[in-house]
Amino acid sequence: MSQSSTRRGMGFYLLAAFFGLFVLFLYGPMLMIFILSFQGPTGGLTFPMRGVSTHWFNDLWTSSRYGDLGGAFRRSLLLGVMAMAITAVVCLFAALGFRRRFWGAGPIFYLSIISLIVPGILLGLGISQLFQLLGLRLAWWLSALGAHLSWTLPFGLLIMFAVLNRFDGSWEEAARDAGARPWQVLGLVTVPILFPGLIAVALFGFTLSYDEMPRSLLTVGGRNTLPIEISNMTTNVTTPALYAIGTVTSAVSFLVIALAFVAIAVIQKQRSRARGRTE
Amino acid sequence: MSAQSPGGGSRLTPYLQVAPLALIMLAMVGIPIGTVVLLSFWESDGISVYPAFTWQNYRDVLSTGVTLTLFANTLKYAAIVLVATVLIGFTCSYFLVFHVRNLKWQIGLFLLCTIPFWTSNVIRMVSWIPFLGREGLFNRMLMQSGLTDRPLDILLYSDFAVVLTYIHLFTLFMIVPIFNSMAKINPNLIEAARDAGASSWQILTGVIIPLSRTGIALGSIFVVTLVMGDFFVVRVMSGGQSASVVSAMKNQIDQLFYPQAAALAVLLVLVVVLMVSAILRVVDIRAELAR
Amino acid sequence: MTEQSRIDIRHVTKLYGRTKAVNNVDLTIDGGAYCCMIGPSGCGKTTLLRMIAGHETPTSGSILIGGTDVTTARTGSRGTALMFQNYALFPHLSLTDNVAFSLRVKGVRADDRRQAARDMLDRVQLLHLADRVPSELSGGQQQRVALARALINKPRVLLLDEPLSALDEFLRLKMRVELKRLQNDLGITFIHVTHTQPEAIALADQVVVMDHGLIEQAASPREIYNRPHSPYVARFMGGQNVLAGRVDRIDGTTAVVAGRNGVSYDLTAARGVEPGQNLRFSVRRDRIAVRPEAAARNGLTGRVVNIEYQGTYVKVALETGLGEEFMIYMDDEDYFAHPHRVGDTVHAAWDASMNHHLPGTNDSTGTPHED
Repeated sequence: MSQSSTRRGMGFYLLAAFFGLFVLFLYGPMLMIFILSFQGPTGGLTFPMRGVSTHWFNDLWTSSRYGDLGGAFRRSLLLGVMAMAITAVVCLFAALGFRRRFWGAGPIFYLSIISLIVPGILLGLGISQLFQLLGLRLAWWLSALGAHLSWTLPFGLLIMFAVLNRFDGSWEEAARDAGARPWQVLGLVTVPILFPGLIAVALFGFTLSYDEMPRSLLTVGGRNTLPIEISNMTTNVTTPALYAIGTVTSAVSFLVIALAFVAIAVIQKQRSRARGRTE
Repeated sequence: MSAQSPGGGSRLTPYLQVAPLALIMLAMVGIPIGTVVLLSFWESDGISVYPAFTWQNYRDVLSTGVTLTLFANTLKYAAIVLVATVLIGFTCSYFLVFHVRNLKWQIGLFLLCTIPFWTSNVIRMVSWIPFLGREGLFNRMLMQSGLTDRPLDILLYSDFAVVLTYIHLFTLFMIVPIFNSMAKINPNLIEAARDAGASSWQILTGVIIPLSRTGIALGSIFVVTLVMGDFFVVRVMSGGQSASVVSAMKNQIDQLFYPQAAALAVLLVLVVVLMVSAILRVVDIRAELAR
Repeated sequence: MTEQSRIDIRHVTKLYGRTKAVNNVDLTIDGGAYCCMIGPSGCGKTTLLRMIAGHETPTSGSILIGGTDVTTARTGSRGTALMFQNYALFPHLSLTDNVAFSLRVKGVRADDRRQAARDMLDRVQLLHLADRVPSELSGGQQQRVALARALINKPRVLLLDEPLSALDEFLRLKMRVELKRLQNDLGITFIHVTHTQPEAIALADQVVVMDHGLIEQAASPREIYNRPHSPYVARFMGGQNVLAGRVDRIDGTTAVVAGRNGVSYDLTAARGVEPGQNLRFSVRRDRIAVRPEAAARNGLTGRVVNIEYQGTYVKVALETGLGEEFMIYMDDEDYFAHPHRVGDTVHAAWDASMNHHLPGTNDSTGTPHED
């Protein structure tokens, strides 16, 4: 140990500087638009700041220039929550099922991977045309939800696989050995133990759906989701209102991320109080 | 014992457990892709589409030089972004795994790299505008330092802006898998290599890079497919001056030329699948993930 | 209690695809007995244990506990409790709730089950840790919690899957004593799967030696150790040299066997053998003397290839040209009075009554674990 920690020489500082620059690259631009969203009423899309105000935030909700932002925001939140719930439940059971061999496991897995690989707009085209062929109307709560699930489920499944890697099947056997029925095994042992992992899957489910744009574009039908509204704004809107909506939606994302992290941290802490204590 | 039955229950249990996923994936991925393939053989007149079986759409797509240019342009983006993200992703992961010894710091900094994944790509793209624009921060700094007297136009609405945005958006897809495979390297291996007299460079090329190749391959698959599947960044960040396969496809969709768009999409997916299987040929990801 | 906890295994076979993990096994374990199943990994011992517990269902055959057929009865309803190799304690529950788990799924009221769990924790001397979670405990403490959780349901049969393998040497010996004492106190049947011979011999009333899904021998430890059924049992349980030869003639009850090295051996109690037949026999390693010159019968000559001092005795390994290393356990005082060196030629000899005929045909080498 001591021999290796003394080697903290030039290499370390160069790499640390590189990493620091990368983090700056990652967050710097975002930070900039957060600041610029508080431009004064006469301010423009770039620095300098002409005063500090919440003018552009008010503008978002009061002006009619931006279309149905409030409705889009509500729909996106709702879609996110639905996608989150479905992703968590479906991926939990699917990953539990994938622990055993069964006929068709390969095709289902590959279908999920293909869904990650193909361009989102192509899936959107496919889903919208399929609805057309079947004579169904596109609706954000059906076709767009399906399109979102084609994006969130594969991610959720892969994460659930990783979570289950650390899940010991003998916990379930121990529960059955103690006389637990299948639903008791699930409710008293499997789900509580996997809960941190389920929160992670839920986090992916919500945020991936909430920010999804290419797959939604052709599938939402008449009513847009927030990312579509925002992407329309990138070409139409030349005021800091664009940044304001960016700040608002990022704030929602960060809030959800923080909630998930805190929840996971609390559970982990409860389970490992003073880990490593000995007899 | 290898033959335990995790989850217990009957032989039917896994089918019931996987059924919801299978149904949704079939309805929202399998059949829609089939629909696109079907559509690529149909006819259209720019107003409506008609069932048919014609190769005309493929002939149209393949006979124009534009298609080749589109594919060349898309592959060029993918190649540049791939090289950049591998270099950045590898360097950052290397720093996190082998130079940050405190586990809490390691996890914390790793999460710092992944958090943007959970935020909006559109917003992250937009956030480059105030930096790169004619009046943007970068041009302002250049002019203040006296390096130029006129603002550079190539910063925003150019191929440069497109590639920079791609790197910004997709590097974390490289960091996560490379970090994971690097973190699995037994530190004793490094010590053993050092004991055997290997230099730092030899350890890097002889031990760390070979053992990280699963992560590099996985990250490459992510980055290549994301770049090749994008239409929005190209459209906005090039200011409409450049096009990729998918952005051209999007234009055709906007003009209601669905069958032509579908044919283009099928060709693109074939290329993507070929590239992914080429990567999988180099590294057997499934075998390595199961370790 | 005794009759209630008797186990009858009748013609049980378990197939995994085409592999016979357990192959037509018949076994009776007396109620209240301490039974150790032993064999190399993959021999079917764990599968057999899991079938008794109900975590696997036999492909054919039946399993009776206390005379009741439980072959397809639900796990957790057949009066068995399994203690898992890695203990499988629930990481999200306190020790109390871990131990109370089976009462909880039965619907026992929270106060009652917690009290019962605390009583049980008291019994394994862990009451002071009742509110901790498993990850805070040492390996030995976790094992005692696992025991408490298994016992709270008052099982008729306690099944232990390699219960001591995760512990260090010191704790292993300590827990071995505790397990034996616990079994004496409770008077229920213990079935203990292990791959360690000394553990089986020290604990068991009945040792079941398995290989390739078959029971090679089921008997008391002394019988197994002294009178192994086959070359495999002799080698696997250790302490024996296995020799081969051809029956030359029968002298009353004694078979005279010509060894491959030209020496004759007298097998005093080899029943049912015919002249001209090839057979194998074993000789206990600690009943062999070293002589100044080669013995005419019941002995052999070899070159010392290894010497290991074991504290109370010395292991001398001989290369005899017979293909299998021949081992002598010498009393340490005898040895150090006339020490040997690697390369020396040594003449070994033993009493004819030490030759034990091995009627079984399983000649595999097993994986002898020696300590």
